[in-house]
Amino acid sequence: MATIEERVKAVTARILKLDPGQIKAEHSFTVDLGAESVQSIELVAMFEEEFGIEMDEDAALSVETVDKAVEFIAEVCRQQGVDVN
Amino acid sequence: MRLILLDSPDEVRGNFYPLALSRPLWGLRCGFTSLGEKLIVRVGASDVAYFVPDYMADAYRAKARRPVNDSSVLEGDDLLIVDPRVKADSFDVAANGPSEVGLDEKGSVLYARVAKADLAKLPTDDIGKFIAAAKAKLPNVRSALPTWQYIWDLVLANAEQITADFAAAGRNGIEGTVEQPTAIRGSKKDVYIAPGVTVHPMVVIDADSGPVYIDEDAEIHPFSRIEGPCYIGKRSVLLGAKCRKGNSIGPFCRIGGEVEESIMQGYSNKYHGGFLGHAYVGEWVNLGALTANSDLKNDYSTVSVMLDGRRPIDTGSAKVGSLIGDHAKTSIGTLLNTGSYVGAMALIMATGKPLPKFIPSFAWFVEGIVTKGFGKGKLYETAKMAMERRNCQWSEVEQAMWNAVFEMTAPMRNEAIKRGRRAMLAR
Repeated sequence: MATIEERVKAVTARILKLDPGQIKAEHSFTVDLGAESVQSIELVAMFEEEFGIEMDEDAALSVETVDKAVEFIAEVCRQQGVDVN
Repeated sequence: MRLILLDSPDEVRGNFYPLALSRPLWGLRCGFTSLGEKLIVRVGASDVAYFVPDYMADAYRAKARRPVNDSSVLEGDDLLIVDPRVKADSFDVAANGPSEVGLDEKGSVLYARVAKADLAKLPTDDIGKFIAAAKAKLPNVRSALPTWQYIWDLVLANAEQITADFAAAGRNGIEGTVEQPTAIRGSKKDVYIAPGVTVHPMVVIDADSGPVYIDEDAEIHPFSRIEGPCYIGKRSVLLGAKCRKGNSIGPFCRIGGEVEESIMQGYSNKYHGGFLGHAYVGEWVNLGALTANSDLKNDYSTVSVMLDGRRPIDTGSAKVGSLIGDHAKTSIGTLLNTGSYVGAMALIMATGKPLPKFIPSFAWFVEGIVTKGFGKGKLYETAKMAMERRNCQWSEVEQAMWNAVFEMTAPMRNEAIKRGRRAMLAR
């Protein structure tokens, strides 16, 4: 089963139309991957769909990098009882 | 005698959404003034109290300067309790007289006149129980008083109401400054320009088809054309606007482009080009440049509106434009379909195509779908900023009211977000 990081990268690649292999954990969604504000909204929506979770918009949209997104999503999954292992 | 305005139950208030999400029904505008102001004048009451839905009581209390949801007003005087849907111009019930409860054909209370001597028979600790007991214990009469049924009724009646309000105000003439050349068509008896108004040169005021009333401190910039019947509210500014007949522009609005037979509640901007027709626009709305609404279908059939996002209601009118809730914002180039509902606090980023006819409150409409966007916190920040620009304060009680509206409107919004997600996944 894919890890949270792999799934985050896959979603990010689909929304931002990138090759998943280009996406690194330390990459910033905006500065390095070129996400515009509208795409940030799409990313949050698609992470929620991918993991079956509900995220607080303000908190989710303040996450800047891929690795922080992985941490954030893992924590939300834990809080909401979603098994991702 | 004390006049009490009692807001309608939620199922009735829903017919006046999205405008009534954040105000009692009597706060809605038609003609020069609100429905409540008209009822107060009609009854001739100086002692007035209000009962509003609990979720807006604190916010309304901060504005009302009269008792709000205070049960003590149910004691100590003769009472006249009125449903704000009753049309003031037709309200012919004597303020004083024996107790009497007027019911419509469905048995709903349109008014209750309760003599002080009968108050002892009724529970005065709760307005709901009070009305139920009044209906059960006091004489009932069948009332045929006409009522407002839907929010678009106000828009459709607006031109006629302006004419009636102009006659009732009994004012005409020029008390403000009118710079020349300015053309006034029709009879000058049908024009009133209040003190503090500035009408710039190259303005046409056309009172040929109805009266024009420009209220205090308004400013009319060059190349504006104002057709009567029309009311321009205090401190509003027209910026080269083509202001067609039948408009009520509330206070502190900025209006450009073409506007026809529409009501602007107040404190809203339609600064730039674009058409707005047969619309009702709430407070603190900003319509981006080239925002346009359709108010007439290509086949001239009657317009339907979805007030709940599901069930279309035939308005019976061939002309109905958009119903736009408080704090809604549209981007440049937004195209609103005939009979569109734009919820309060909705934020629209246009796609170039006509929008869906129902945009829920607090929705972020992005890339053609309803999303959660940046959430309500960001919308509140924007609302606060917009209000501060007009020296108004965003308060904690107001935020609490909006939090309640957010919860009330969540089912419709969540459904739209789910549809949006499906569309996003299919891309």
